[in-house]
Amino acid sequence: MTEKEKMPKTNRSIYYAEDNSQYIVKSTPDLGILKSLGIVENARIQKLFTHRLGGPVLVRVGSSEIAIGKDIAEKIMVGGK
Amino acid sequence: MAECHGVNEETQVHEKHCRVLLMGNPNVGKSVFFSNMTGIHVISSNYAGTTVSYTEGDIRLGDATYTLTDVPGTYSLEATSEAEAVAINFLNSNPVAVICVIDSTNLERNIKLALELQKYNVPVVYALNMVDVAKRHGFEINVGLLSKELGAPVIPTVAVKGEGLDELKEALQKVLKQPKTGCNDCSSCRQHKGGEMDVWDRAAEIAGKVRIKVNGEFSFMDKLGRSMLKPWPGIPIAILVIIISMGVIVGVGKVLNEIILLPLVDNVLVPFFKNLFSLVIPEGVFLNILTGEYGIFVIGFEWIIALILPYVFLFYVVFSFLEDSGVLPRISVLFDSIMRKLGVQGGSIITILMGYGCAVPAIIGSRTATTKKERLIISAVVCFAVPCISQTGALISLFAGFSPVLLVLMFLLSFAVMMTVSSVLGRILKGNVDPMVIEIPNLLMPNARAYGKKLMLRMRHFLLDAEVPMLISIIIAALLKETGLLNYIAVYLEPVVSGWLGLPKEAVIALILGIIRREMAVAPLLEIEGLTALQAFVGGTVALLYLPCLSVFGILTKEFNTKTALAIAGATVVNALVVAGLINQIAHLFI
Repeated sequence: MTEKEKMPKTNRSIYYAEDNSQYIVKSTPDLGILKSLGIVENARIQKLFTHRLGGPVLVRVGSSEIAIGKDIAEKIMVGGK
Repeated sequence: MAECHGVNEETQVHEKHCRVLLMGNPNVGKSVFFSNMTGIHVISSNYAGTTVSYTEGDIRLGDATYTLTDVPGTYSLEATSEAEAVAINFLNSNPVAVICVIDSTNLERNIKLALELQKYNVPVVYALNMVDVAKRHGFEINVGLLSKELGAPVIPTVAVKGEGLDELKEALQKVLKQPKTGCNDCSSCRQHKGGEMDVWDRAAEIAGKVRIKVNGEFSFMDKLGRSMLKPWPGIPIAILVIIISMGVIVGVGKVLNEIILLPLVDNVLVPFFKNLFSLVIPEGVFLNILTGEYGIFVIGFEWIIALILPYVFLFYVVFSFLEDSGVLPRISVLFDSIMRKLGVQGGSIITILMGYGCAVPAIIGSRTATTKKERLIISAVVCFAVPCISQTGALISLFAGFSPVLLVLMFLLSFAVMMTVSSVLGRILKGNVDPMVIEIPNLLMPNARAYGKKLMLRMRHFLLDAEVPMLISIIIAALLKETGLLNYIAVYLEPVVSGWLGLPKEAVIALILGIIRREMAVAPLLEIEGLTALQAFVGGTVALLYLPCLSVFGILTKEFNTKTALAIAGATVVNALVVAGLINQIAHLFI
């Protein structure tokens, strides 16, 4: 998990962020589906965990659980509460 | 009237008098409402995107008849996807009303769509669906307050059980009688000019207000749903689910086949027709075509009733259950990392599994793929190496005479070809495959009524679609064999069939029939006396990898183009002959 350590503490990718914690979305790739699911700037998002071996990350937005593939999730930057 | 009920493919939306739209987020149960209100059954499942094109049907409200349109599910109305563009087109086509289905367990996002709907000056009735699941999750919803916030009637429903549908129709009738006003006097008007986050904030605010916490008991299914998302115990559970599914299909299928259907065919149906025809038709070629060893009334019953039907039925029993339960998206999540390495993404696993039933719905279903490259890879994988259930049934019977090991080997071979095709196409095709972004639906015990209806619908589709090609191939088989025509053709194909593949000349029938129906590439092998295990395996391999049936060719032409269809057809045939031939030649080095 060297990537995780390289990330600055304030803004990091949701993919490498700590499990089971609340975050605020800082920036996301410009993708319609993310917007539609409520993963937009300033949205509150709970990271559950990241699957190993390049699997997806699982997050909760509102009351729905969403799985996001690695390539997109790496580009979703989040910050602390 | 019949053509009104067909599935419409064009994105062009024509204005229609008295159109009522059925809208909502993906996987909120729109298709269930549609089936219940129109009596027209459309396939619904427990994951996003089952309705890839729209369907229309009539509903009667009082004395008037309206056209109800099942619009593909959308998370928002921003035209970010094809489905959303279709939905917006419909909203602009001057509908008389909208039924918007809201998923009670996902209030924020569903309310957001409701708020976006308000921008269109159309009367809306909201169906607050799955209130039973929400309650189990620990909250009830203040329906009166939500109705006030949205400025429109809100009816709590449990669509799969048919609860609240009458009330919904009543509310719809009332709304239709009201004269159109310039703006609904709703409390949400101020967000009309709001930005993106404002709508979300407003939705979250409303959701927070109307949600009442109650003592919910997370059910066993909810807990199981959670744990199925983690590799442990998710992956073992997923593998167990797949093994049990295959066990049910193969095991129960064999029991049905050997204990009930085959005796029925061999001892009752075939002798009955043999006696009947021998009374009226003199002995000769004609009688043989009807009831000879390869007669239409012999192989027709043996192949269709005993060999194919039980497996098709059992496949849909199992697959429909998996679809409705919400297991499939969980499997997609668990296997995403493997699928990524093969050039696709986890979600495509659902489409590929569907291909184990029949390649045609799988290829149509691949429309949910977000890029053309992904669609092509999935369709090619299904055509190259996924046996349809009819063929699997025939293969099970073929290998039953030898050893179950052959069946396992055949599946391993199928996986190997799938992986190769997927990785090769992933490298050579231009474009890219979007990573997975999917919502995980609640894990639910399928509702018996909805499940039963779906199963009936699927079986009816199968019987209607497969009947004619099956009969044609059986007639061709009977004619080829009983008239002796086969011997003439066999001479030309001898070098390939007997030389390269090492199969007896009767296998030529399999190669010819395999073009029409996939399982017919296997069934004739069953009739050959003295087939060795190697020959059975080589024959099975040809059948497995061979060109999928004519229907598949047709659907490839329709969904892609003739060039793609021809390319896939040609490549599968070459691949089948090369792989099967190599297996034969290499095996002979050792035997």
